Amino acid sequence: MGEKDQYKNRIELLQGTLDMLILQTLQWGPQHGYGIVQALRTRSGDVLQVETGSLYPALHRLERQRWVQSEWKQSESRQRARYYRITAKGKKQLASDLGRWERIVEAIGSVMYVKPEESES
Amino acid sequence: MKWSFGFQRRKRELQEEIDAHLQMAIADRVARGETEESARQAAEREFGNIPLVQDVTRDMWGQASLEQLGRDVRYALRQLRKSPGFTITATAMLAVAICANSTVFSWIDGTMLRPIPGARDTSELVSLQRGERTFSPTPPFSYLDYRDLREQNHTFAGILAYHHDWITLTGGAQPERVYIANVSANYFDVLGIKPMLGRFFLPDEESRPAIPSVVLGYSLWKTRYAADPAIVGKAIEIARHPVTVIGVAPEGVTGAMPGLREDLWVTLDPLGTEVWRMTHRSGGAVWLNVIGRLRPGVSRGQAAQDLDTVMRHIVAAYPNDHLGDNRITLDPLWRSPFGANGYIAATLPILLAFAAVVLLLTCANVATLTLVRFVSRRRELAIRQSLGANRMQLVRQMVMEGAVLSIVAGAVALVLTSWTSKTFAWFFPANSNPLILNGSMDHKVVIGIAVSSLLVGMLCGVLPAWRSSHAPAVEVLKAESASISGGSRNRKLLSALVVAQIALSLPLLLCSGLFLRTLRNLASANPGFEQDHILTASVGANIVGYSHDEEHVIRHKILDRVSALPGVKVATLTDWIPMTLSHKGVDAYPEGYVPHPHESLQVYDAEVAARYFESLHIPILEGREFTPEDDEKAPRVLIVDQTAARRYWPGQDPLGKRLRVWGSLFTVVGVAKNSTHIFVNESPEPMVYMSLFQAGYETIVQVETEGNPADLAPAVENTIHEIDPRLPVFDVRPMRESTQMASSLAVIQSVLAGMFALTGLILAVTGIYGVVAYRTQMRTHEIGIRVALGASRVDVLRLVLLQGLWLTAIGLALGLAFALGLTRIIVRLLYGIGAHDPVTVVSVVMILGGMSLLACYLPAHRAMRRNPVTAIREL
Repeated sequence: MGEKDQYKNRIELLQGTLDMLILQTLQWGPQHGYGIVQALRTRSGDVLQVETGSLYPALHRLERQRWVQSEWKQSESRQRARYYRITAKGKKQLASDLGRWERIVEAIGSVMYVKPEESES
Repeated sequence: MKWSFGFQRRKRELQEEIDAHLQMAIADRVARGETEESARQAAEREFGNIPLVQDVTRDMWGQASLEQLGRDVRYALRQLRKSPGFTITATAMLAVAICANSTVFSWIDGTMLRPIPGARDTSELVSLQRGERTFSPTPPFSYLDYRDLREQNHTFAGILAYHHDWITLTGGAQPERVYIANVSANYFDVLGIKPMLGRFFLPDEESRPAIPSVVLGYSLWKTRYAADPAIVGKAIEIARHPVTVIGVAPEGVTGAMPGLREDLWVTLDPLGTEVWRMTHRSGGAVWLNVIGRLRPGVSRGQAAQDLDTVMRHIVAAYPNDHLGDNRITLDPLWRSPFGANGYIAATLPILLAFAAVVLLLTCANVATLTLVRFVSRRRELAIRQSLGANRMQLVRQMVMEGAVLSIVAGAVALVLTSWTSKTFAWFFPANSNPLILNGSMDHKVVIGIAVSSLLVGMLCGVLPAWRSSHAPAVEVLKAESASISGGSRNRKLLSALVVAQIALSLPLLLCSGLFLRTLRNLASANPGFEQDHILTASVGANIVGYSHDEEHVIRHKILDRVSALPGVKVATLTDWIPMTLSHKGVDAYPEGYVPHPHESLQVYDAEVAARYFESLHIPILEGREFTPEDDEKAPRVLIVDQTAARRYWPGQDPLGKRLRVWGSLFTVVGVAKNSTHIFVNESPEPMVYMSLFQAGYETIVQVETEGNPADLAPAVENTIHEIDPRLPVFDVRPMRESTQMASSLAVIQSVLAGMFALTGLILAVTGIYGVVAYRTQMRTHEIGIRVALGASRVDVLRLVLLQGLWLTAIGLALGLAFALGLTRIIVRLLYGIGAHDPVTVVSVVMILGGMSLLACYLPAHRAMRRNPVTAIREL
């Protein structure tokens, strides 16, 4: 595998993760794009910084797949904004994404935390 | 466009969404104490490149964007321009294949699908036939039977009757022969046609109206009466009888018999001179063709049952007028045995099926070429894929190339068809019927072309595109010559396409071979009469208004004068010419003969003068031929053919036996050898000949000549005109020309099937050549190595030939199975040859196999002669 393929894998991982993160954020209630960015940053303790260049394509893609729905509403600060809401289909997708994520974490964990003797046998 | 508005709206909304994002970010920063200006800058910096975000987001909206469609089309055009050879060849092949389909379809459209031009909803119309089902039956109903059926049925919205024949329009500067129809008063109502001028007939005008009236056809009104807008109410002269014009039919209306043109219409007995015909139920009073319009919701079966019930009552009331078979059968007009469709319905649909096979074959060929192109563009595709194009996008762009090809091909085919649709009429030789058969180019044909194009686009674009898009980008980019031949998936598809082309072209070749041999058999078959030194000329003595006696005098004078012409061996008269698709029939009741149940007593008949059999070289097996003495004053006599003799008097001497025809008894004085009536391949039907001077109506002069009959035509015509210049003389032509009519459909079959088969052969052979050549070229490197390692040239030849051989063998085997199954549908169209004729099958397989082998040999030969060193260095 060359460098390019590693890069490709990372993108895929992030892309799948971003979808999951967005859907999870919307679980807490309808939110606009800016709100999603803020929520992710706050909840991750300023670690996750989502690029708008990834967020908006992702939101529009999720909408096309009917995992989220959008509508125009007034925000608390009387700003007209597009609010996204998770759909039933989106919730199902979130559950399956989460399951996959947990399996990956577990698999990576069992590789990373393996004891030296076991690996030699 | 609504759709493009949607796109603009979404673009605006995205802009607004991004603006809102920025506003909120700025507001937050300002709330944290930043200045308005620095907050804005920071927010915009944080957001990133706005146009890029918009662009990437818009990509997520998917293919439903005009912009993208335009981009794809431009891309496809660019790719096609890059390989003009492929583009032109593929477009031309597809256009020809689509045109083959649309041409045959336009012929079907102009005949079977539009059986009665101008009529309302012809799918509700059915033609009525009484008795045994035959091709080109004679008019089956008497007026009284027709009237009873019309008045006593419960399933028809209306039933019309008509009878048509030639007549002469007199009273103008020039007499003109026209085709006139005697019709029931409801004729135009049942057809659903409204007059263009004046009115049509009223119910009480059906027989013996107060004023004889006529309805003119549009083209007659235009040509003979200069489109006179005040023609209604004026009197014209038909066969020297004055009649009043009451209306003009709209343009395009040509009457109720498919394929024939009626010029004008009168009611059934406009002059009151045909009383006998209107008041009898049998013999010469059986003269009407009948068409009914079913009530909505009534099926043909129900209607036939209903009419059968009425008919049974009629038969019970008048048993002597209805001996033989009286069952009623109904046919939709697209296959009505009355008129041209009966013949056409047996041929054209089969030719359309052949054309469809040609189209499939062409698609397979173009798909092969397309696949090869895509394989050679693998690197380009892979690069595009790794640059971020997803698979769907690639497929879409490749499909677009197929779509562009098929649309252009469809457009070309449309232009071609507008011409080829009119070539149908070419196939019918000059004849004595007012035939108006031709193809038509209307919306149905255009839709047909569009559907074919769509199909072509799918087969030639989608299939190869889908296959090619599977290639994993990384491997392609890494891989060099070793795997460039396209991977095993594409190799299999290519092989399958080649096999399909061979398998599809074999049935085409076999059918066309069978048709060609049928045509040859028909041409060389002996019809049982002389065709080569015979000239016939119709004399319209009966249609210009002469009295019966005057007509007789004229006939005698014609016989005397024409016989005396130099170059004339024998001159005689008849009222019928065999093998011209025309057919006369009468009900003949042999004395003392008990018919089987449902046996038809209708026989073919012809009225002929003395020396008729001599002129045609038809042997009289027993008794004598007619003589000049068999005239009106003499006892009625007739001559039967062998079939009639065997049917009615098996094992007995037919001479002296008597038959009742038209109510009089005729004595058999001779037995003639069987000869062909309509088709060489007909099953023999009984025929009776009567003396023209005892029973004839029309007059056709028939001359046996010493030399070329066409040379004598002017002399014969002049002689008749010398007797009376007003006598119309028409259809003067050699017998050979007239009888071509009988094989016109066989000619259509073989010409079209032959062209289709040739196309198929070329496609299949170029297809296998292309694939083998391409594969060999891809293996140049490998072959070079093999030769360098010691493989002989013969080994190379075998290597390349073998793969072509395999493909050919599989294709031939599949094609043979397909072909032998398919020929069953053409059995009825063959003559003198079996559908599985071994000679034809073997020669067709040899031709196709041989050509394919040759196509494989050429690239193999080239590979064999390559210098291995250059071959290895290449690439």
